[in-house]
Amino acid sequence: MGKKLFILFGLMFLSFNQNIIAQEQTVTGTVTDGESGLPLPGVTVIEKGTSNGVATDFDGNYSITAPADAVLVFSMLGYGTQEIALEGRTTLDLVLSVDAQALDEVVVTSLGITREKKSLGYAVTELESEEVNTVKNYNVASSLVGKVAGLVVNQSSGVGSGSRITIRGNNTLTGNNQALIVVDGIPIDASGTESGGSIYNSTVTGGGITDINPADIESVSVLKGPNAAALYGSRAASGVILITTKKGTKGRGLGISINSNISIEEPMFLPEFQNEYGQGVNGAPYADLANFGGSSWGSRLDGSEQLYYTGEQRPYTAQPNNVEDFFENGIQSINTLSMDKGGEDYSLRFSYTNNATTSIIPNSELQSHNFNLRGVVDLSDKMSLDSKATYFTQELNNRVNLGTEGVLAYVYRMPRNVRIDDLKKYKPSLWADPQMFEDEYGSISYAGQNKSIGNPYWMLNEDTNDERRDRFLGFTKLNYEFTDWLSAFARVGGDVTNIRSDYIQDYGHHFFYDGRLSLSTRKNTEINADFLFTADKDLTDKLNLVANVGGSLSKRTFETMNVSGSQFRLPSRSFLNNTNVQSSSHTPLGVKKINSLYGSFSFSYDDLMYLDLTARNDWSSTLSEDNRSYFYPSVSYSLLVDRFIDPDKDIFNLLKLRASWAEVGNDTGVYQLYQTFSVPQDGYLGLTVLEGPSVKLNPNLKPESVTSTEIGLEFNMFMNRLYGELSLYDITTTDMIYNVPVPFATGYSTFKENIGEVQNQGIEVMIGGVPVRTENFRWDISANFSKNENKLIELIEGLDYTVLNSLGGLSIRAEVGGGIGDIYGSTWKTNENGERLVNAEGFPLAAGEREKLGNAQPDWIGGLTNNLTYKNWNLRFLIDGRFGGEIYSATSSYLDAAGVSERSLQYRGEGIVVDAINEETGEPNTASITAQEYWGSYSGITSNYIYDQTNVRLREFALTYRFPGDFTDSIGLNAASIGLIGRNLFFLYKDAEDIDPDSSIGTGLSGQGISLNNAPTIRSLGVNVNIKF
Amino acid sequence: MKGILKIFSATLLLIFSLSSCSDFEEINTKPDAFTSDEVSAKYFLTGIQIELYAPNRYPYWRAQLIHADRFAGMFTFGFNGCWWNDGLAYSYSGGYTDAAYDWMASYVSKLSVYQNFVKEGGDLENENFYAIGLIMKGLYYQMYTDTFGMVPYTEASNPDIITPKFDTQEEIYKGVIADLDRAMEIIGSQTETGTGVELLTGNDLFFNGDLQKWKKMANTLKLRMALRAQGATGAGFADAVINEALSSPLLTDEGDNALLPKDIEISQWANAAYGDVWHNFGGRGSKWKVGKTVVDYLRDNNDPRLPHYAEPIIGGEVTFTKPSEGSGVALFDKYVSFILGELDNAGVSYTREDSADQVKINVSDEQPYYVGQPTRLNGDIYPHVKYELFSAPAEWVVNPKNSGEPIFPEVVMTAAEGNFLQAEAIVKGLGSGDAQTYYQNGIAEAMKIWNVGQDEIDNFLANEDMALLNGTMEENLEKIAIQRWLASYTDGFEAWAIVRDTGYPKELANGVSDYDIYSAGTLNGEYPQRMRYGNQEYNTNGANLEAALQIQGPDEQGTELWWAPNN
Repeated sequence: MGKKLFILFGLMFLSFNQNIIAQEQTVTGTVTDGESGLPLPGVTVIEKGTSNGVATDFDGNYSITAPADAVLVFSMLGYGTQEIALEGRTTLDLVLSVDAQALDEVVVTSLGITREKKSLGYAVTELESEEVNTVKNYNVASSLVGKVAGLVVNQSSGVGSGSRITIRGNNTLTGNNQALIVVDGIPIDASGTESGGSIYNSTVTGGGITDINPADIESVSVLKGPNAAALYGSRAASGVILITTKKGTKGRGLGISINSNISIEEPMFLPEFQNEYGQGVNGAPYADLANFGGSSWGSRLDGSEQLYYTGEQRPYTAQPNNVEDFFENGIQSINTLSMDKGGEDYSLRFSYTNNATTSIIPNSELQSHNFNLRGVVDLSDKMSLDSKATYFTQELNNRVNLGTEGVLAYVYRMPRNVRIDDLKKYKPSLWADPQMFEDEYGSISYAGQNKSIGNPYWMLNEDTNDERRDRFLGFTKLNYEFTDWLSAFARVGGDVTNIRSDYIQDYGHHFFYDGRLSLSTRKNTEINADFLFTADKDLTDKLNLVANVGGSLSKRTFETMNVSGSQFRLPSRSFLNNTNVQSSSHTPLGVKKINSLYGSFSFSYDDLMYLDLTARNDWSSTLSEDNRSYFYPSVSYSLLVDRFIDPDKDIFNLLKLRASWAEVGNDTGVYQLYQTFSVPQDGYLGLTVLEGPSVKLNPNLKPESVTSTEIGLEFNMFMNRLYGELSLYDITTTDMIYNVPVPFATGYSTFKENIGEVQNQGIEVMIGGVPVRTENFRWDISANFSKNENKLIELIEGLDYTVLNSLGGLSIRAEVGGGIGDIYGSTWKTNENGERLVNAEGFPLAAGEREKLGNAQPDWIGGLTNNLTYKNWNLRFLIDGRFGGEIYSATSSYLDAAGVSERSLQYRGEGIVVDAINEETGEPNTASITAQEYWGSYSGITSNYIYDQTNVRLREFALTYRFPGDFTDSIGLNAASIGLIGRNLFFLYKDAEDIDPDSSIGTGLSGQGISLNNAPTIRSLGVNVNIKF
Repeated sequence: MKGILKIFSATLLLIFSLSSCSDFEEINTKPDAFTSDEVSAKYFLTGIQIELYAPNRYPYWRAQLIHADRFAGMFTFGFNGCWWNDGLAYSYSGGYTDAAYDWMASYVSKLSVYQNFVKEGGDLENENFYAIGLIMKGLYYQMYTDTFGMVPYTEASNPDIITPKFDTQEEIYKGVIADLDRAMEIIGSQTETGTGVELLTGNDLFFNGDLQKWKKMANTLKLRMALRAQGATGAGFADAVINEALSSPLLTDEGDNALLPKDIEISQWANAAYGDVWHNFGGRGSKWKVGKTVVDYLRDNNDPRLPHYAEPIIGGEVTFTKPSEGSGVALFDKYVSFILGELDNAGVSYTREDSADQVKINVSDEQPYYVGQPTRLNGDIYPHVKYELFSAPAEWVVNPKNSGEPIFPEVVMTAAEGNFLQAEAIVKGLGSGDAQTYYQNGIAEAMKIWNVGQDEIDNFLANEDMALLNGTMEENLEKIAIQRWLASYTDGFEAWAIVRDTGYPKELANGVSDYDIYSAGTLNGEYPQRMRYGNQEYNTNGANLEAALQIQGPDEQGTELWWAPNN
């Protein structure tokens, strides 16, 4: 493999030298708009068959050096393309006319079939390369936020963590709610995209879309829901994100481009801390070292000498920036070199991208390299070959875990008088009196030695949480054109991911004093082989049929190995053989196969109406013989009404009504049918011990079914000056395959069943236009809004809700009559008169029952993109927001309990007699409690920390200057631009305190609706440089 | 053209036929698991034995240590440097309660896998194994219902009933006693489970397959439950059951003890021991002290078990520092005199030195002192509850695994229990014989488990008033209760049940009231009578649970159970 690649690279480099330079001349001219007669800036002028090209300036002028016999190609979006032979001329003026045909947007749809958007009976949103690539993030998901109606991206936090992408709401309880990622027509493995959610230690991995190099993306097509995705089958029930990667252009000669994107990252905001009271308890500093804890319930920070956690006497003064100073400036540096070359009958493209990101968290970083080679060759006039190979390798050091034991738990709660620099000196030998420590390996933190309170620097520098991903993605596709109306392709694609994870808690760790480690490898593979016949034939004068018939074989495998050990024998090194107790586990190769046959038939009548029918049958190895074959159809229709109401296209260039209906089936994972008995890890006293399963499996499982109905309207007015789209949909999932929690007394903890019904109904609106278009200035604006209502109609007889996650008084549920992600929690306990209760000591009491406090899914999301061009300057910015929906900020609750939040300043000093009824006596409360006691109890009541998710922020910002053509020419470049870019610059509105409501503790369903010591949201500001040779 | 089309199609057909659905069954068969025809019931018996008495570290910590042992007054948190103050769990905690409930409630699934194998018509049908299963079921339900109250019983273990109803404790007690009778009847005079693969030996960690000992344990459990039920509403059946039990063999001799040996060479997360928690945080955070009530009864009665149960205090120089300000200033003197009062009570010799903001004491090192830490101390007194001044559990109890050190076994049911129960029945007038003999035999058997020497035992029995049933009936019952409770050290679930059932030791059963020192919690000072149900039950079986609360009373820790004396 390596050798072949090497030879290919060699050939490419050799071919660069074969450029023959003929006798050249300079050609100049002016291009004007055929309608207005005004000069047209930004028209691309290319010497045909080469990469030699320029663009017109703001006076419509261009100047290009080309051979006398060259053909110049003039093109601009929205205008017709013209090719003109120079025939020796040195001046060439041209009038370009708006091409109504050119307004017909072409989008990529299911199976990679390119369609005119006007012919589609369902909603598709396509984003071009620059829309995801200007304000760059190595995780493409971050660049989709706010740009597509109906698409919700929930971030986790920290470098290398993934995102949750849902389109049109959560469809099922099984967790498979995220969109399928398809790259160049082939679904990729997305293991790792549903991760985290653990309350204690939530590791949020990446996977799927995070492994795609943004620089290679030509376009991203979002197929919303089953209607658009019917042909992708089982895995597309939650929509598809279809990524088309770049390839070279035939006949364009050599092109080299370099893109460099560097940004500085910092926390966008931090919680509000108090700076008046220091470390201590009950209004006094801690009196002795044994008594030290992590809370800030001491006395006023008055500068007096007090006992410090090191055992020294230190001035007791506020350190207002100690949390802020913990975070460093991160740097994200993404550099891409790409080369392409196109000859008569081939094109090649190679790109290399390097991403080096250092986190805002000390000693946490990510490095990745992405190599991509794409070649398209015409083997004969009928046969062509398209191949791609991508190798991606990523090293992630010190991933940040979230949750109550994550490193940030110990940062945010840092006592207000602790100096951050002191924590960097955790090896006791650095202290004045080493005798006070038991040994030199302790992770001494601000509560002193051996207090089970982590020292963030120790955790980041001594512990290890590393991951190395290696991924190969590639395909080969053979196209054959039988006749001018019949063609076919056969394709084989592969996706192999190897993941190595090292998780080490070093000797001296605050919870696992003797240390432990876990080393695991995972290998996921996915092979897809498919074929497709395409017939495109005019059946009559006006009736055209495009038929596609194909089939695919999909084979996925999963395998994991893990070794773990604990108790390092010698404390100085952490490796497996140095552990006292070891164990290993292996999940043998699991194989899942799906065979499919499918077809689509698209009729178009006179460019007036379109009817699409699709059908697919899958055979899945995960279901029993009786249920493994399942069929699902779809139908969609669109009608171009503008032909009736505005035949001359005076106002409407397009007015389309559309409707569609689709059904998709969904299978399950491996080994879900038959009961077996496992061997537990340890045995007991050398005896074999067997266990029965806690899940009652079900040989009669049938596929899930998702049915979707959608209607919509699209319009385009005044030659693209105003356009918009409206969609209404209803998606209903039934027969969900779910592990239904049952009472333990049944003998199981869950039953695997086909249950329930989930409904998502929503509306999506997109409207855009060009309010201003003058000679030098153009303003494009587009906005999208979407609302989704998620409802759980039915679970199973006798069960009203199921719990997705819980923490103290909080539970995240899916409830019949409510939705998936309903937030339930405790409220302040009251008596029958509704009066608040305190206990015998005067402490606030939480009620035993849990009440519904919100839902983790936003009601509305929206985005507003503005794109302003003035001469060579371009300003693009995106404001996006979510409206409604709730989130529980466990972070805030812990800040209050620890006495570090600004809120916790209340009732300090004098204490409080809570205005409530004493539960024991039934009389009004008279007992006074301290602020510490008050906030200790108050923070345990869930309802106090439910925040509205509503927030609006300046998400992306890019100011770009494109150097004029004559300047770039003069220094030997084809094009060059430089831009100032920013992400997450500021909030225009935010309701939640302390946290970013877009960010939760995991990317699975269980991680929704809870924020718990998440890493701060990152604000980044940087520079983007593009150079093309 | 047609030729190419043919080749194209033929190739595709070939690919498809090569990968038809024929291997689907095979690839969807789990390779790393067994089917029921490959296994033997004895492997499951070992599993259900260890799961009930040595579950993994998570429930061992949260159910056994945080709730049962502490509610029983055996162990206490809340000294200076402990991870928790001792109010923990006296205020309901959802997370810890759920951990306890989930473990105990889900145990029934392991049990029913076993029972389904060995029952009539099961894959591994064997009546004797089934009888053992019935006895395990009895041990389990007694522990389970005595912890939570009403639980699903008659409709449990039936996967066709997705939401089983809750049964009253009366029904559960009756059902378990009937099961025990059935088990004893099956066993009859047999001593072995069978031959060949059906011969149970080492996989039975309690009795090495001796069916007659299983039968004695069944009878002892029957007696325990009948005595507990006796006097409760609707427990008229109890007297006859006690009578029956007394006329059959009980666990009475040293060889009868059902003790689960600890595996000291497995990981600290599996089949836990106290030491897994004790040594966990590397410092004081995860440690605990022995309760004052235990130490006082042992020390005040010259009980030779004291050094086997507890370590002497560390002592040395200890400083109480008065806070410079805040709520702790006013109560400083009260706190110090409370703590020093405990030293005085234990006869500790120390010197005291007072200054403006400090009280410094120096404990004499002339002799070992044992001081138990009072139960339920609150967060305010916490800084003054000095680690050095209270006794830790003995090393045998808290030794870590993988260190070569022995670890005290788990108590399932002892010969001491068989003797004490007979003494109790006789004192209550429900049986005949010499109560004091049984009582002293019980004490002797209890001491032997802890490796107390015979001469020390004889000395205690001969000289201590505590060894004599020489008072009124109530005083004698108190002594028996105290000794049963002491014998249940490290078996918190049973020890806690004894306190609730008998009202002894009074020091625990009476709860707390001085909230300067003690934590009121959500119990408002009352003694905990049960644990609350886990959220899983609310989430999956809410309607039946609510119906149970209508009978039993609100789902609070203070709600008394069916057999509680005041109920």
